[in-house]
Amino acid sequence: MYAQAFFVAVFGLAAIGFGVAVFRTSSMVRSALALLFSQTAVGCMFLAMQTEFLGVLQIMMMATEMSIMTIFMVMFMMDPGGLGGMDMSHQKRFSLGAGAIAASVAIAVALLADWGPVTAEAPDAAMQTRALGIELLGRSMLIFETAGVTILTAMIAATAVAIPVHTLADNGDKEASE
Amino acid sequence: MITVLIVALVTGAILFGVGVYGALSQTNLVMIMMGVELILAGALVNLVAFWRFLHPENYAGQMFVLVVMTVMALEMAVGFGVAIARFRARGSVEMEEAGDLKG
Repeated sequence: MYAQAFFVAVFGLAAIGFGVAVFRTSSMVRSALALLFSQTAVGCMFLAMQTEFLGVLQIMMMATEMSIMTIFMVMFMMDPGGLGGMDMSHQKRFSLGAGAIAASVAIAVALLADWGPVTAEAPDAAMQTRALGIELLGRSMLIFETAGVTILTAMIAATAVAIPVHTLADNGDKEASE
Repeated sequence: MITVLIVALVTGAILFGVGVYGALSQTNLVMIMMGVELILAGALVNLVAFWRFLHPENYAGQMFVLVVMTVMALEMAVGFGVAIARFRARGSVEMEEAGDLKG
């Protein structure tokens, strides 16, 4: 039990440390890598809390997501190494205050609420995966299917927004120039 | 056992606070998205801790985690779509310059 508390705390500190590092570096690539490490630490927290399937899923998803994010960072920024030391922030005091208040309120709720009896034993990893599969294809089937359709819609919407707009007038100009 | 739950909830709360700071303080669209990712990571930690220590027999808790992970992926996809459109139109993803919808 103490070992579990220790590992959850260590990975939690790592997640917070790398999370803070995201906004403290002037290199966007380093920011993306710090976020990758932070999300990986969150995945390790899941593993320490004996939620193996979700832990592995979190690490795998975030590894791919953050790799894509790093590529976009390099594409969008002229200074991926952060050597120019440019500042990309505004309203710092307000943001710091809002973040501190949000964290303080959430910590106060965590410490003061009565959470009721806590379960010491978790189902084993194989049992968890089996039960989650049954949940996905049983009671939560509609939510699962909705999530799938939403992902498809978002993919189509993102592609539609990102591709350049070609109008009939453009085509006419092209034909005329040929 | 309550200690582990509290440690996880406090970690989630601090991640949420860091994410709020990032989302509000950054001017670059991709950096704002990173702040939102941290906010959602804080929510994920809380959801997993609640499932594991309070209701491990109810797998709707894990289902909720999968939904939040889906939201994270959607936010990235749509955010990058908007970022590419913005970059193509204006040559920058700085949100301080974005006032296109102002009347």
